[in-house]
Amino acid sequence: MKGMTDFANPAVYVVEGLLVFFILWKIFSARRGRDLFIRRIPGLSVLDEAVGRATEMGRPMLYAPGLSGLDIIGLQSMSIMSHIIKRAANYSTRVIVPLCDPILYTVAEEVARDAYTTQGVPEQFVPEDIRYLTNEQFAWASGVVGILHREKVATAFYFGYYYAEALILTENGQIAGALQVAGTPAITQIPFFLASCDYTIIGDEYYAASAYLSREPTLLGSLVGQDYGKLLMIGLVMLGVVGVTLAALGAHLPGLDSINHFFDKYFLQYFPRST
Amino acid sequence: MNYLPYLSLVLPNSVHGRALAVYIIGALLVGAAALFALVCVPPRYRKIIVVAVTFFGGLYFSLEFLLPHQPIAGVPGSAGVARFANSLTKAKPNVADWAMIIGSFTLLLGTSNLFAVHGRAVKKKTEGWYNSLAFFITFFLIMIFGFLKDSAISSLGPGMAKGVQSVATSVYSILFDGFVQNLDATMFSLIAFYIVSAAYRAFRVRSAEAGLMMGTAAIIMLGLVPIGAWLTDWLPSAGPLASLRLENITYWLLTWPNMAVQRAIEFGLAVGAVAMSLRIWLSLERGSFFDRQL
Repeated sequence: MKGMTDFANPAVYVVEGLLVFFILWKIFSARRGRDLFIRRIPGLSVLDEAVGRATEMGRPMLYAPGLSGLDIIGLQSMSIMSHIIKRAANYSTRVIVPLCDPILYTVAEEVARDAYTTQGVPEQFVPEDIRYLTNEQFAWASGVVGILHREKVATAFYFGYYYAEALILTENGQIAGALQVAGTPAITQIPFFLASCDYTIIGDEYYAASAYLSREPTLLGSLVGQDYGKLLMIGLVMLGVVGVTLAALGAHLPGLDSINHFFDKYFLQYFPRST
Repeated sequence: MNYLPYLSLVLPNSVHGRALAVYIIGALLVGAAALFALVCVPPRYRKIIVVAVTFFGGLYFSLEFLLPHQPIAGVPGSAGVARFANSLTKAKPNVADWAMIIGSFTLLLGTSNLFAVHGRAVKKKTEGWYNSLAFFITFFLIMIFGFLKDSAISSLGPGMAKGVQSVATSVYSILFDGFVQNLDATMFSLIAFYIVSAAYRAFRVRSAEAGLMMGTAAIIMLGLVPIGAWLTDWLPSAGPLASLRLENITYWLLTWPNMAVQRAIEFGLAVGAVAMSLRIWLSLERGSFFDRQL
């Protein structure tokens, strides 16, 4: 049968199995009280400065989750938003959250309400600050640009999935004089954020953000498990490079035949190369 | 055993007429009953239900992806596993429909939020309240004419109904093709100008890294335009020196160093997504709403 299952070959079982093992192993070892180190991430260390700036200026902050829906990217964005709102709640600073996805909007409203309640200031929660704008890409972008200028936002956070609207938002944020922090798994938009934001978190730092901000053992353990997973990936890539190089040299050096046969039979055939 | 025929008896692929109404009312009643039952469950058990639903939902997609869909020769029982996996795959569109149904309900909540925000702005005549008024006018205009253009109002008579439809189609076309599409294109075209201002800031050489980026960007920009090809046109198009032609350097930069970095970032992101998915699936996630007593 055609479909995603075409990819579930033995390599998928082994690699996924090892990834899951590393992550769960480190989560449970962290829960048992193992002390774990996490390096400094400048884009997230600046959070207190960003909140402080908005508080001193008496202006609101903006948290935009991009075009994310209710998926892993959107949920991670909600997790980061929760931490930001909690910090902002300590200083009675408003956080405006414009949303593009109606499902994520309902989740965001609950997360924001919960964050204010956790900080003991449920009265600071303003339902109208969690705004569903539209599910049209550029209409949403123009709505956010309007908020940036009308509300004179002091700090803007962009954490979520972005497409072409990323640059429109951040350039307007620059014009509005906002301190801007961004993070996205959308590789094509990272250069635009780097060019126009004050701080940008790159790649898997996006998924490390909640662990970094909360220092929760489960999340820190998961982060260390991820690093083990990345080491596994690096090892596989190195093996692949050696295997493919030997295969290329095999045409000139017949003595490599047995090694190439071994590599092909037990490794390379499970990682088909795209052309 | 193929489970799909049994599922089809309860949930047929398509129904029409009176049966459709019965299914809609039935679905609403079942939904309301399920919601009522969930509300009646004591809070300490509610979390268990959420955990169980999340786990079985994740299990469905994991099994659908991981189980072999073809029998494996020489492995007893693999034919049954393959049939089960195939029935999971066939049920996938129905499972995906649930997300669409939930999305439709949340759209109403989103609209109510829009009405609350803009209604307050109009009522209190806050700064820019006329924009909120424009929202209400366009919202109702596009909704009314959107309905009218697709509906035949039989009570008006055939001639009148056709006229109403024709007018509605024209107005809708002005609103959608004339306003929405063009405004969308306008926003998109602004990117061209913002790229210039962002590039100006990014290309200010303030450090060695910024200098390296500036140099690389200059090569790539030149390599992608005819003048770049013209600048190194004197180099041979074949042989070792051909790789020094600007278009070839550009190709090499984009295909090798740039692609390698992009894939490295993608690897990290994929592993991060696996970790996050696993935490949510097994209800190990902490922070925000995940560890709250429901």
